[in-house]
Amino acid sequence: MELRVIEKTDTELRIEIAGEDHTFMNVLKGELLEADGVSAATYNMNPEQSGGQTEPVLSITTENGRDPLDALADGASAVRETTDAFKDAFEAAA
Amino acid sequence: MSGEFDVQIIERDDRQARFVVRGLTPALANGFRRAMIADVPTFAIDSVRFTENSSVMFDEMIGLRLGLVPLTTPLDEFEIGDTVTVALDVEGPATAYSGDIESSDELVQPADENIPIVELKEGHSLEFEADAVLDTGKEHAKQQGGVAVGFRHLQSVTVGDDIGEFDEQEPEILRGAIETDEGEVVLTKEFDHDLTNKYPGTELTVEDVPGAYVFHVETDGSFDVAELVLRAAESLGDRADELHDAVTA
Repeated sequence: MELRVIEKTDTELRIEIAGEDHTFMNVLKGELLEADGVSAATYNMNPEQSGGQTEPVLSITTENGRDPLDALADGASAVRETTDAFKDAFEAAA
Repeated sequence: MSGEFDVQIIERDDRQARFVVRGLTPALANGFRRAMIADVPTFAIDSVRFTENSSVMFDEMIGLRLGLVPLTTPLDEFEIGDTVTVALDVEGPATAYSGDIESSDELVQPADENIPIVELKEGHSLEFEADAVLDTGKEHAKQQGGVAVGFRHLQSVTVGDDIGEFDEQEPEILRGAIETDEGEVVLTKEFDHDLTNKYPGTELTVEDVPGAYVFHVETDGSFDVAELVLRAAESLGDRADELHDAVTA
């Protein structure tokens, strides 16, 4: 996972997350949209044949003075917590 | 959303299972589905060294067929990129089956014994040594552990008034599993997928249950369903850890 910051201000972040696909990016986006202080989150990904930027680019906009990089770090840990909770629930049922 | 999940297994056997998960978002459900298909690695034959092939098929055709033979994969013991050598030696007249493949590792064996590789006539023979490689379905479809993984919304049924005595009841076809009036999850095959068989002569309302999904998961025999589901969740979690560490570093 190679990260490359394309644009960063106090409230906005555009970052390339190389090597990831929809599997992880969509889960991460979903998690970010539910986080406090995040007003917008989306990602863009072009198909292989497009010849342009093919690695996913994540865009985050924050509000209430939240730093977008912090929001991203918290979003990532929220994904981990969610998958762990799912694993526990599945193991309990299995 | 590190909310509460509730998992209920409706049916399961060695290679396939159906279960309901409550508390999921569509993004998460699809993330798990995609991870099960593309991100959980399995062994598959990747390169073959033929000693003799006098069968009616070219080496490449046999190579393709060998790649599709599912091999049991104990994921605790191996890492992506590990190889296991397998070999086969069959003389005609006979059919070479996947069960004839001899593995150098007793943990990695053909998951099915009865997949025909090629039919050998009198005087034909097939002998080779091959390397099975552990990799993910993202790399090549032969390395997919989950072969049929899907989910759909859990639907609940509300039983209304009786329909008029001379009214014709339209069939109400549903697939997978549904939630009844009493909150019980029932397989639709129990009433031949037509809800009017279960509740004849009544008005029925069917609606989606928010946040509840019915997963149907089938593996190729490399490992069981529980292993596949847990590994898929773990692979998403691993990537989240990696991202978290990369951002905070």
